[in-house]
Amino acid sequence: MEAREPLAPDAPALELRGIQKAYPGVVAVGGVDLDLRAGEIHALVGENGAGKSTLANVAFGAIKPDAGTVRAAGTVGLVHQHFQLVGRLSVWQNVMLGREPRRGWRIDARAGRERVRALARDNGLEIDPDAFVDELPIGVQQRVELLRELEREPAVLLLDEPTAALAPAEIDSFFKTITQLAARGTAIMIVTHKLHEVLAYSSRVSVMRHGKIVARFETASTSVDEIARAMVGGELPQVAQRSETAPAPRFSVRNLRAGTGSVALNGLNFEVRAGEIVGIAGVEGNGQTTLADAIAGVIPFEGEMQRPPHTGIIPQDRHREGLVLNWSIVDNTVLGRQRLPSARRGILVDRRSARADAEAIAQRFDVRAASLDVAAGTLSGGNQQKIVVGRSLLGDPEFVLAYQPTRGIDVGAAALVQSRLIEARNAGAAILLISFELDEILALADRVLVMYRGAIAGEFSGANIDRGRIGNLMAGSSV
Amino acid sequence: MSYLKRTLGGPAGAILLAFFLAAVAMLVAGVSPLDGFEALFIGSLGGRNQIAETLVQTTALLFPALGITLAFRAGLFNIGAEGQLVIGGLAAGALGAHFAPATPLAIFVLLAAGFVGGGIWGGIAGWLRAQFNANEIISTLMLNFVALAVANYLVSGPLKASNASGAETTPLPASSYLPTLIPDTRLSIAIVIAIGAAIVLRWLLKRTVFGYELRASGEAPDAARRNGVNMPRMTLLALTLSGAIAGLGGATIVTGVLHRFNTQLSPGYGYTAIAVALVGDLNPLWVCVAAFGFGILEAGGLAMQALADVPKDAIHVIEGLIILVLAARRYVATRAEAAPI
Repeated sequence: MEAREPLAPDAPALELRGIQKAYPGVVAVGGVDLDLRAGEIHALVGENGAGKSTLANVAFGAIKPDAGTVRAAGTVGLVHQHFQLVGRLSVWQNVMLGREPRRGWRIDARAGRERVRALARDNGLEIDPDAFVDELPIGVQQRVELLRELEREPAVLLLDEPTAALAPAEIDSFFKTITQLAARGTAIMIVTHKLHEVLAYSSRVSVMRHGKIVARFETASTSVDEIARAMVGGELPQVAQRSETAPAPRFSVRNLRAGTGSVALNGLNFEVRAGEIVGIAGVEGNGQTTLADAIAGVIPFEGEMQRPPHTGIIPQDRHREGLVLNWSIVDNTVLGRQRLPSARRGILVDRRSARADAEAIAQRFDVRAASLDVAAGTLSGGNQQKIVVGRSLLGDPEFVLAYQPTRGIDVGAAALVQSRLIEARNAGAAILLISFELDEILALADRVLVMYRGAIAGEFSGANIDRGRIGNLMAGSSV
Repeated sequence: MSYLKRTLGGPAGAILLAFFLAAVAMLVAGVSPLDGFEALFIGSLGGRNQIAETLVQTTALLFPALGITLAFRAGLFNIGAEGQLVIGGLAAGALGAHFAPATPLAIFVLLAAGFVGGGIWGGIAGWLRAQFNANEIISTLMLNFVALAVANYLVSGPLKASNASGAETTPLPASSYLPTLIPDTRLSIAIVIAIGAAIVLRWLLKRTVFGYELRASGEAPDAARRNGVNMPRMTLLALTLSGAIAGLGGATIVTGVLHRFNTQLSPGYGYTAIAVALVGDLNPLWVCVAAFGFGILEAGGLAMQALADVPKDAIHVIEGLIILVLAARRYVATRAEAAPI
């Protein structure tokens, strides 16, 4: 096969103009212009939900934009954050999948194997073409994913969170390959939120927030600090009325260890006091789910945990973990509270109080439903979430775990949920708020703990809550 | 329109379709379907004795079907009602033949023995699932064969009646028979106990905290786990209770019909009961109705063979068709739900 004619250095390789993409209730990308030049490594950074992945998929052609144009100087390749490999096929079969060399009506295995071997050699990637993919470590699977895109000789290569699952050593060798690729004229865009990688390897940085590019930097003349500030927005959070909290600890963990791998908790120590919201800030995948699971009693843990008997839990995934979708609103109101004295009469479910509770939630949270007997699965996401949150706050729980309490719901419902959480706090509840939205943490929390790789990387409270420093810690850089 | 669609698309439709297909099969076999079905209904509902026999079959199916209903509602596929039924019958038969006190209380002891025996048998599968995550479909099914082998061994050896020619236990003393409901028939008050069990089961599922947690585990295991349901404990309890209800059924066959235990206790009630539970839509009261329907088939099958020269196995064809149609319907419904909105 003939090698692609390399583009001249700095020649435009990809032009995005006025890209817009909206989903019901949310504008993912709201008018973005972006240029990639041949031979550059361009970092696209931003918080979760800023629209980075959507933009990458528009550039790749997997998502059709509502408006705007994409012009590329050649093939565009995309390496997904979640690998798209066939585990039971070998490396070369995965790389050549859908483009297998043929001899007559048969697949020419030898040619395929040789092609992959040559490709790997040219790009300095060490790999055995005959290994089965599901027997390879993650870092090597990533190489397969990369080879598959390189096989198509792309002029533009997009990498969506390429190092999310890699160990540090694998990350170094990965960037070595990428740097070589760029040196040979491929335009590369890395979607990431790891700022130290951005600084070490990219030539330019674009920062996305709320679907727009809010800042562009030449990497040589910027800093992690500056990028982080742009990522989370410079403006100060709207301050909720925070009064002094009572000293009584309601929930505490000492040396909490749980989970395995990159999301394991490495000995957490913190407490949540009555009348206080403690926010856990952090990028998704740094152990937050492990923490929530340990508190909910779904996974085993080591260390000590003091959890009051009346705990309300708002799980992250309302469909799967929060509701029985086939059940009525009334029946769902009981879930998680079925053993509390207030929800039962002896061994029976107290159906009268369940209905009264459901009515109270519907009123306090403005739940829009034809009746309280309709299945929860028929309601909109916002109304479903109102039931989950309302239920967890019934009867003044001593402690509430709120994991992404406003995830994927409209702004009005989100504001209502947040107000009710603050009211519960003012009434004396201890609330642990885990959220990937820094804005939400800053708006609600009295105290902020930053979680990075399963540990608390920093703590901020009161006047010391500093968006920029929190952003830095979230990205893994020390302050 | 939608009501008709719902009814015909539901269990009723499955039954109608199964009968239609069975009629086609009879035509192919050269028998008039009208004659066949007439014999079926005369043989099952044509008189006092026939109705009594139909109710005997209904009872035998109803207990395991209720046990299966409970397990299925908890999301656990208990295919082992047959084995649980046999072990329950064995426990009652062995105890009644050798250790039963000669008091009116004996019958309660024997029924309790069946309940406990079936409960242990179901509980084994529950423990395997809770402790080692062993798939309960496999374990309950395999335990059926173990149960039959154990029963076979015991009644041909240690528990074999001294004067019996076949493999069976010593008959129970008459004092531990279940009282007869219709004189001179095999119908005992077991049918009343079974319907009572259905009512209790409905109450348990609908009203109690335990039933609430059980249904939550079946409908949405992730939500149940995260909302305070101890899933291993629930698994163990549900399969134990499921087996216990089937075992109670075995005990009623021993104390009410056979008056001894032998391995011909069940011609596969525990398997047919799966279809009964599904046709009854896993709702205890509808399961009673479904059990009656299947009771008609079981009791009328012999008459069909004698009067219309349709082999009794044709009944099993109908039963099999009902299961097939129901399964196909569920599959289609699931796929329709899974389609993107």
